[in-house]
Amino acid sequence: MALLEARGLHKRFGDHVVLEDISLAFPEGRLSGIMGPNGAGKTTCFNVLTGGVRPDRGRVVFGGEDITGLPPYAIARRGVARSFQLMNVFDEYSALENVLLAAPAVRARSFNMVHDLRRDTGARDRAATVLARVGLGGKERVAAGRLSYGDRRALEIGLAVAAEPRILFLDEPTSGLGADGTARLAELIQELRRVLTIVIIEHDMAFLFRLADQISVIHWGQVIAEGTPEALRADPWLARSGLGAAV
Amino acid sequence: MELIGTLGPHLLNGVALGLLFALVALGFMLIIGVMEVINLAHGSLFALGAYVAVALVTPEGGLRLTALAPYFSMPIPGRFVIALLLAPLAVAGVGMLLELCLRRTYGRDPLYGLLLTFGAALVIEELIRLVWGPTERFLPLPTAITGGVTMGGLVYSVYRFFASAFAVGMILLLWLFLQRTRYGALIKAGAHDSEMVRALGVNLTRLRLLVFAFGTGLAAVAGIVMAPIWGVRPHVGVDAVVPAFVIIVLGGVGSFWGAVIAGLLIGMVVGLTGAFATAWSLVSMYVLLVLVVTVRGRGLLGKKSVLER
Amino acid sequence: MTVGDDPRTLAAGWLSPGMLVAFAVFGTLPLWIERVGLYRYLGVEILIWCLFALGFNLLLGYTGLPSFGHGAYFGIGAYAMGLTQFHLVADLWIGLLAAMLAAAVVGGSVALFISHRRGIYFALMTIAFGQMFFFIASKWTSVTGGEDGLLNIARLPARLGVVAFDLTGNLAMSYFVFAVFVMATVLLWRLVHSPFGKVLRAIKQNETRMAYLGYRVYVYKWASFTLSCAVAGLAGGLFAMAQNGAYVQVMSLQWSGVVVLMTLIGGGLVSFWGPVVGTVVYFLARDLLGAYTESWLLWFGLMFMLVVMFKPEGLAGLWQDAVARHAAHRRARAVALQPAASD
Repeated sequence: MALLEARGLHKRFGDHVVLEDISLAFPEGRLSGIMGPNGAGKTTCFNVLTGGVRPDRGRVVFGGEDITGLPPYAIARRGVARSFQLMNVFDEYSALENVLLAAPAVRARSFNMVHDLRRDTGARDRAATVLARVGLGGKERVAAGRLSYGDRRALEIGLAVAAEPRILFLDEPTSGLGADGTARLAELIQELRRVLTIVIIEHDMAFLFRLADQISVIHWGQVIAEGTPEALRADPWLARSGLGAAV
Repeated sequence: MELIGTLGPHLLNGVALGLLFALVALGFMLIIGVMEVINLAHGSLFALGAYVAVALVTPEGGLRLTALAPYFSMPIPGRFVIALLLAPLAVAGVGMLLELCLRRTYGRDPLYGLLLTFGAALVIEELIRLVWGPTERFLPLPTAITGGVTMGGLVYSVYRFFASAFAVGMILLLWLFLQRTRYGALIKAGAHDSEMVRALGVNLTRLRLLVFAFGTGLAAVAGIVMAPIWGVRPHVGVDAVVPAFVIIVLGGVGSFWGAVIAGLLIGMVVGLTGAFATAWSLVSMYVLLVLVVTVRGRGLLGKKSVLER
Repeated sequence: MTVGDDPRTLAAGWLSPGMLVAFAVFGTLPLWIERVGLYRYLGVEILIWCLFALGFNLLLGYTGLPSFGHGAYFGIGAYAMGLTQFHLVADLWIGLLAAMLAAAVVGGSVALFISHRRGIYFALMTIAFGQMFFFIASKWTSVTGGEDGLLNIARLPARLGVVAFDLTGNLAMSYFVFAVFVMATVLLWRLVHSPFGKVLRAIKQNETRMAYLGYRVYVYKWASFTLSCAVAGLAGGLFAMAQNGAYVQVMSLQWSGVVVLMTLIGGGLVSFWGPVVGTVVYFLARDLLGAYTESWLLWFGLMFMLVVMFKPEGLAGLWQDAVARHAAHRRARAVALQPAASD
């Protein structure tokens, strides 16, 4: 059974139909990809799945529970984490403090107005571990605003991972990364996929085809193709439309 | 129940107020379109317009220069017209200065722009208080538009008729300007999509300056015409920006006639509260703001407007 | 050593060097203020406003929410102090508690309307509510005394068990206000360094991300607003005592605007002590500049605009820059003085 499913999503902004009868299924433990050209509706789809946008019609079901239209914080608490394409970290805080905030254990005690977080070595050590995993070991004290682009990307993902989610959504994680950065990212994702269900929106088709177990292609607000990378590569229609051409 | 029968003059008052509110809101809206920030000083510029007009019409209104004695011996209608023309220009100048100041806040956290325009509003109000004093001022009017006219047993204010007609005229002129002239088209385009305008090679900096001058000039005109209705006090500024904001939220950012209709609605509410409980008419605007923002919530169907930042 | 301490928040639990300096200065103020040509009551005023501004900064500097109507809660505290004294029981502690509670209850109710907002919506709503309360206070003459205010509020003695301190003199009042200031400052300091405080600062930096991390952002904003109103109410209660009256002017937009100006100029956006610095600067401007020119507030407002335009981190920001430059300079010198590393 799919960990997270979208059924018949429909969304229009003004008189522009952005999503038309989109149905997707993300099996547990697999890495799924979503690709498609700009303006195809990928980001809106993501936003509907993670709570930023409410669909006009359709359902989103997570772990058997209907989460359609719930606000972002409610969906996040149920174990859905996402990273952002336009980086969205806490610039004034150090890398460690960033990741600390994401930890559910810290969030649970966030109404505490007296306690001193610096004494909580358990939480800090767990946060340091997450940082090490995404390749930021040794940079705990650096203010997020002063990290290099590649490091900020890593922190971006680190925030999502630190939330201890059941499913991780990555929104165009290779954005702005060079060949080295992309390779580093691929390694990280290979490591993360062993313990997390992952969904990636990507433009970089080679990246997606290398990593994903299954890919959905969205164009003009609809899912026009779906399947394993091999199947898609062999699909004559896709090849002709130029979407499969890059791979 | 006899109160209903006496509603006529209050309705007229509501219409006049509404049209003038709409005028302020339209200027406000044009600025919002090309700017990233909401100008909290818009109301103070509204007030400044009235004060500059007072200075231009009455000899003890601020310009205490004896050299201008021949000017002040001109009959009131003449001075009034001059005030209607010059005061908005002066205020537009101040508006442009403000835009220059605001440039430092572009691209940064919108909080700074908000704080800056708030500071500007306080500074302008304090300036008014220093130059013209804290007591209420009066704008003398040409006798032709003063007094009352009796219709159906009720006395209607001639000035309210004038104010309404004037406002309608200004709104139509504005509409024609936006629809028919090149500058108007640019402003509308800039209001919709500044990126596109820039791509078309238009100098965005100059466009912003122009729009700011234009928008604040409109506020000043409204302030002058509103002066005999609301009174000329330093504090009037705050009372003026609130209905403009409510109108934008109600009518939608970018809808010209939406703003006019919303303006009329609000004017009616204020005017009618004036009929039943005079002291509460100004406060009704604040109550309306709270209601509208609470109920209207996100505003434009899921699409973030510049107001949401 | 715990991992990854951000130097900016490296402060010992309850107290800090800056706090001790501030306490030393303000605690001894009554002793030297007259010698510098000022007057005792000014010390009282400054401390009350410092309290107001510190509470206000919880909202502006820490949570990033601009409230332009905070004078209303200050005023509600002042009126509550007087009304409790006249109609309930003439007790200092109960009066102050009532001041805090009244402001917190009203503030909390207002916050229900605005907690889901930020930016311009938030700001205008705070203005609207501020104006509404100002209006109510002006018109509800039977309760508030209208435009004249609520007069003859007494400075009730501070009873602690068997001992009672008479506060009618400005010296005693100075020490009392200072004591309240100390307690409030220590608690606020602890608050901003607690998990709750860290969440507030995170919300200021990136509210959206916090929502996606599972935080019910509006609850924190509500709490921040309500707490800042409670502090404002406390300051208002003290003010009513100090002035022997509660006046409607404190609820005006101008009064509300002044606290914004002070807080920002002092550097509230980047420092806990910013509001205190800003308050002192304001009062010095008022009394020293004001002696020369009527337009001192205009200049203060212009200074505010310049600060927002060129250095929104304010005076505290300038100080932090200087400290950082000095530290970098020292590090560079230390490195230069080290013998070359041998391999």
